[in-house]
Amino acid sequence: MTHADVLVIGAGPAGLAAVAELARLGLTSLLVEQRDQVGGAIYRRHAGNGNHVLLLPEHHRRRRDGLMQAYTQAQERVTALTASVFIGVDRDGRFLIDNRRLGRVQSVRSKAVILAVGTVERVLPREGWELPGVVSAGGMQVQFKETGQTPKGKILLAGSGPLLLALAAQLAAAGNPPLAVLERAQPLASAWWQGRAVFNVLRSWPHVQEAALYGRELWRARVPYLTGWQVQSVQTVADGLRIDARHSSGLARQYAVQHLALHDGVLPNMTGLPGAAQSADNCIVYAGDCREVLGADAAIDDGSRAAQQVARFLGQRCDSTPLDQAIAAAQRTQAALAQLFQAAPVAPTANTVVCRCEGLRRSDFDRLQVAGSAHELRLVGRFAMGACQGRFCAHTVSALAHEYGVDFDPAALNGDVPRWPLRPVSLAALAAYSELESVE
Amino acid sequence: MNMSDTVALHFYWCSEPVPFRAGETIAAALQRAGRTDVGPAVAGLHGRYFCGIGTCQACLVSIDGASPVEACLTLAQEGMHLAPALLSQLARTPGADA
Repeated sequence: MTHADVLVIGAGPAGLAAVAELARLGLTSLLVEQRDQVGGAIYRRHAGNGNHVLLLPEHHRRRRDGLMQAYTQAQERVTALTASVFIGVDRDGRFLIDNRRLGRVQSVRSKAVILAVGTVERVLPREGWELPGVVSAGGMQVQFKETGQTPKGKILLAGSGPLLLALAAQLAAAGNPPLAVLERAQPLASAWWQGRAVFNVLRSWPHVQEAALYGRELWRARVPYLTGWQVQSVQTVADGLRIDARHSSGLARQYAVQHLALHDGVLPNMTGLPGAAQSADNCIVYAGDCREVLGADAAIDDGSRAAQQVARFLGQRCDSTPLDQAIAAAQRTQAALAQLFQAAPVAPTANTVVCRCEGLRRSDFDRLQVAGSAHELRLVGRFAMGACQGRFCAHTVSALAHEYGVDFDPAALNGDVPRWPLRPVSLAALAAYSELESVE
Repeated sequence: MNMSDTVALHFYWCSEPVPFRAGETIAAALQRAGRTDVGPAVAGLHGRYFCGIGTCQACLVSIDGASPVEACLTLAQEGMHLAPALLSQLARTPGADA
């Protein structure tokens, strides 16, 4: 039943595009998705009745609908395992999957694998960022898509990047505009001297339309977009959160809210995954944002391209030149946006929780004067050793280690021993382990 | 009041009933009910919904006393009994094990 040509992990835009393209090329796939439904965070569906006001650019909607249609047409050649969490690869190259529907860990062997597991949102630690009520902007957005309701009470958005604008506009359109968007960078000011970056963003008509759509909504709802501002600290108070913000000029301001959404960009989600590889009898390809963060539309193209790469590995002929060109254009736009949103990092204060999983603060790091290597920082200090496996803290730990002259390379965290994406797996599911039929 | 709010589906968070809609995650229902704190975590911190896609592992909860799952990925089901993933006596305080 599960015999398939290709194993695809993740059913977001890249994974869905990959299985649809594989089906078009006559190949079958096994699609593994941690949620109960496909679409990923970006195409999360509204659960429940009633209207959902979701402000979305038209081109984005069109590509989503096209992808879903292609996926529906591919059904005959796709076996989807939903509510199934990818938990790692064993030393024999078996991909392990916690099938939570069956309550059983299953393994799959496959000659060809496409990993499409998306991004990790970057959130720089500030004092109080670990408190309940503080979420990542992506986390707030995906929950809003699912419930169709904005969080109740006052909201503040802070950090850096275009996602803050998109989320602010979506919240405003749905009736609960944030008090403000605090942007650390100075994208408007830097536009004056980053002419080339501006030109490269303007070359992408969909991005111009998208910016206009969000800009119009923020203007209508009178949401202040404050650049050069950053959150210094968050405290829990009787009726929510008290937020101290500071401008680069030294000006300070306080906000009283119930919800704070933070966002400092996105990174590929690669921690603990096997590297991309291709040999005579084995092919592992990354697709979408987990290969390179280029956004949902480019992830669709990248998923199709990964499928074509695998098809070539399996002996088919196909040409990826048009997709290469589309992805190159997305790279140009993303590089230009990154330039406009360039900002100095937030330096954690002594009391700032650096490593949330292990509950470690900056002061714990400074106390660790004996740690002379990345290895000691982890084994003695416990930094980047918790459940998220450094996904959220490794870059900050790296910056702190650098101050002490220690090289702590987030990319090298894996070392020789693969550190799998740590997920809770019940003993009962492990005890019920079974091998799925091999994927050849 | 919205029609969908009157649908009589409930689970229990620390024995208190929380309404949810079919197809909604545990985290979404808890958020709509105004519960952002999902119990003790290490070093005196608190569990909470954060990334929404299973990567941060900060929203783990226990269903019917069993091993933990991510509240942000797991669908709410009628009659579930949910509790913090970490027993409060296991939540270390800073420096306790140093």
